Amino acid sequence: MEFGGAIREAKKGTAELVVLAFLEDEPRHGYELTQLIEARSGGALTFNFASLYATLYKLEERKWIQGRWVEKPGQRRRRYYKITAEGRSVLAAQRKEWGQFFELIRDLAGVEHA
Amino acid sequence: MRDRDLREWRTLIRERADREWRELSNDVVDELACHLAEVHAADVTGGASEADARARAFAVLNAASFLEVSKRPRARNMPTGYGHDLRFAIRQLRASPLVSAVAILSLALGIGANTAIFSLVNSLLLRPLPVEQPQQLVTLTNGSWTNPIWEQIRDRRELFDSAFAWSGTRFNLASGGEAEFVDGIWASGRLFETLGVHAILGRTFTTDDDRRGGGPDGPVAVISYDFWQRRFGGAADVLGRTLNIERSPFTVIGVTPPGFFGPEVGRTFDIAIPLGTEPILRGRGSWLDERSSWWLSIMARLRPDQSLDAANAALRAAQPSIRDTTAPGWNNYIPEPFTLASAATGESQLRRRYERPLIVVLTIVALVLVIACANIANLLLARTTARHHEFSVRRALGASRWRLARQLVAESAVLSTAGAVAGVVVARWGSQFLVQQISTRTDRVFLDLSLDARVLAFTIGVTIATTLLFGVVPALRVAASEPMDAIKEHGRSLAARRGGLSGSLVVAQVALSLVLVVAAMLFVRTFTSLANLDLGFNRDGVLVVKVNAERTERPPSAAVSTGIERVDQRPVFGRVLERVRMLPGVVEAGLSTITPVSGQGWNTFVDVSNTPRLDGRQALTFRNAITPRWFAALGMHLVAGRTFTDADRKGAPLVVIVNQAFVRRFLNGQDPIGHTVQRRVIFNRNRPDAPLPAPRDIVGVMADAVYSNVREPIPPTMFEPLAQREESLGAEMALIIRTAGPPMTDVRSIASAIRDVDADLAITFRPLADYVNASVARERIVAMLAGFFGGLALLLASLGLFGLTSYTVERRRAEIGIRMALGAAPRGVVGLVLSGIVTLVAIGVIVGASLSLWASRFVGALLYQVEARDPVTLITAAATLTAIAAIAAAVPAYHASRIDPATVLRESQA
Repeated sequence: MEFGGAIREAKKGTAELVVLAFLEDEPRHGYELTQLIEARSGGALTFNFASLYATLYKLEERKWIQGRWVEKPGQRRRRYYKITAEGRSVLAAQRKEWGQFFELIRDLAGVEHA
Repeated sequence: MRDRDLREWRTLIRERADREWRELSNDVVDELACHLAEVHAADVTGGASEADARARAFAVLNAASFLEVSKRPRARNMPTGYGHDLRFAIRQLRASPLVSAVAILSLALGIGANTAIFSLVNSLLLRPLPVEQPQQLVTLTNGSWTNPIWEQIRDRRELFDSAFAWSGTRFNLASGGEAEFVDGIWASGRLFETLGVHAILGRTFTTDDDRRGGGPDGPVAVISYDFWQRRFGGAADVLGRTLNIERSPFTVIGVTPPGFFGPEVGRTFDIAIPLGTEPILRGRGSWLDERSSWWLSIMARLRPDQSLDAANAALRAAQPSIRDTTAPGWNNYIPEPFTLASAATGESQLRRRYERPLIVVLTIVALVLVIACANIANLLLARTTARHHEFSVRRALGASRWRLARQLVAESAVLSTAGAVAGVVVARWGSQFLVQQISTRTDRVFLDLSLDARVLAFTIGVTIATTLLFGVVPALRVAASEPMDAIKEHGRSLAARRGGLSGSLVVAQVALSLVLVVAAMLFVRTFTSLANLDLGFNRDGVLVVKVNAERTERPPSAAVSTGIERVDQRPVFGRVLERVRMLPGVVEAGLSTITPVSGQGWNTFVDVSNTPRLDGRQALTFRNAITPRWFAALGMHLVAGRTFTDADRKGAPLVVIVNQAFVRRFLNGQDPIGHTVQRRVIFNRNRPDAPLPAPRDIVGVMADAVYSNVREPIPPTMFEPLAQREESLGAEMALIIRTAGPPMTDVRSIASAIRDVDADLAITFRPLADYVNASVARERIVAMLAGFFGGLALLLASLGLFGLTSYTVERRRAEIGIRMALGAAPRGVVGLVLSGIVTLVAIGVIVGASLSLWASRFVGALLYQVEARDPVTLITAAATLTAIAAIAAAVPAYHASRIDPATVLRESQA
């Protein structure tokens, strides 16, 4: 499934929201995030891996998430990202904002929420 | 396996990031590499083939842009910086191999030449003697001293902590036939003690060994480490072995440490023997009691609390009593006050001869390096201009000015470091080559050229200086590039700025090149005037055979004691001469006590009958004792009177032949034939009542001929028949042979003829031309270096001009095309291109000429028969430079006139 131009633009702004959302329940590493996003969106949403990390670093810089190298026995060394308290409140606020935005779009353009 | 994969991914990520001008921190690279490894591993686990899995991971990598990842201004994302700069710089330099090769090559030559000359300066002028506390050492200046004077100083123990005297010489180790010379020194007993040098094997000699005729252990010798290795293969049982020095047995008692070359810089020694054993070798001809044999150097160690001034004062206070004891009643003996000077860097005759030339040459090579740097700066500037777009893009992407400048400096640093590494190789080879050039067959020059901290610091300093010289200008230019330039067409603003800067570089190059070309011409003219000087004899086709009869007619194993009576050697020499004359390849042959142009000298004070008595050194004439055909063998010309014949023998009327200089000095130009020459007698303690020598009739006048040194004015000289010589004859004579063919061809037959006469004669062969060449070695080497580097400077300057002109043409291509389309003639185009260049060259020549005139004061002393401000040289140099500049600029200018207007116009429309 291909998105049109409007959606592609919107996607950029949603990347941060999506990453924060996927980190809400448990810490995850970058590869795991790409896999999850791809699987949950049925392949519709994919991240260029460098952009994913760029987003992660940006979030980390804002102190919304925190990264940490973890080495488990029998596993490759990985960097796990955990959402911070600040990150959670930002996520909540963004969810609300996006929700209101979709409401508005639905009312104005007659677009049905999936 | 996993680790290796990770490493590979890391490399690939870095590579990609480099290509995008991004810097990634190690942490980020690690994380991205882990990600790719996960992608790869997951595919393999999912059943994909290894190749497919890799391909997919590659695809992930290739789809990525690192722009965002690397922009994080976070601590863990600090630019990895210098390592990256270097890698990138190396890649950039490899991208334009020709430019890089030219730059590295010119730097290798420049830095190499500077390092080579500096390492000579270092070992000759700067490096302290490798002995204990060298700063406490002092030397008695103003030449050599006699042994009686030395003994007086030695016996005044209160003057210094300790002192010693020595004289460098060569010892013949061959038992007969062709001599086998090694470098030797005679030294008084406290040489090693004073210098604080201890034997690494056995012992050094002491005052006990330094008694006349030898100490309790008999005649002993201390050998150098090198000689020990060379001759004895470093054998441990070398102690106690016998060395036959001039066929007298000496016992080896010790080996000095490696690196110790004796008290004189520029020479080394193989064997050192005590001064007291000198009579064993010289017999009755010993110089130990000679008041007019000046052959010793004197060095002392100050007491720890003693200043140089105090030591000088003490020595001068002792001078009158030293004078009275050594030459009583003679007022004019050692008139100059004794003067001590620091000998921390050793004593050196070589230093006196080469100090100034070395500094001049060091300046020359430094200037060449500056010119080379200007060229490289220009090359880099051109390349920077070409890369301007790239730099603007990087600025637009957020790279700071400092970041880009640093990148360019890194490129310059890589260039100069590569140049320096190659330069050190060039320097090793070059300095050794130069030492070989100043060495002669009989006078081996030894300099410790090992790389020490000072040379290393110098090379590193030069490398940094060159980096700054040619790296900073392009870096500043780049720092000035604006991000918006990338969007504009081709960044013309930067290109336009480049012109003025290159212009100044070219002016500097032309000016410095002119200075070097002038210097080169002056030194080459000096050398050619010396080399083509009318010597007064014909140097070609003459062989000089040094015949040493020290060992003849004396049993080698005789119990040696002082005061051995030397047998008069003349009959042996006479027989040698007769025998050699009969050889087919020999045209003429004669014997003399002094070899011309060998640096030897023998002089005396004389009075000429019926002429005013001359004072002081005015009355000094050089002399030589010769056999009748000697003049003919050398090809010297008789001006008046007659030459010697066999009739001028002992018992016949005493005669003498003088040269024209003698006539000018003593006879004021009047006809000398019929006048007599009377030798003055110097007081001799051994023979206080020696009779006045008989006067000699002047029977002939020879044309002036060089006596001991080509550079010196020809001194008044008088020749006496060898058969009528009054004083005892030295053990060594020069056999001058004019040969039918090249001088060295008949060496074997001559050697066997001489051995037939007496197998104990020691002989050495050398063409006369060699002596002449050795006498102008300094001028030759300076001319050679100045000529080479002057030429190099000229080449570099013309390359610089060529580059600048080509660049100007390229930049103004469109303009030239339009002008031609509008009807400009090719001649006008050439003029247009050249006008700017001509101005630059003219400014350069004017600046260079003024610089040359200013610098002339430093080289005057090194020149011969040419003025330092010689206008002809200056004008010729300026004309040569201008001509070469014209050619260098004309080629691109001509190309400009061949530009096809139609093509250019099409290009500019496109």
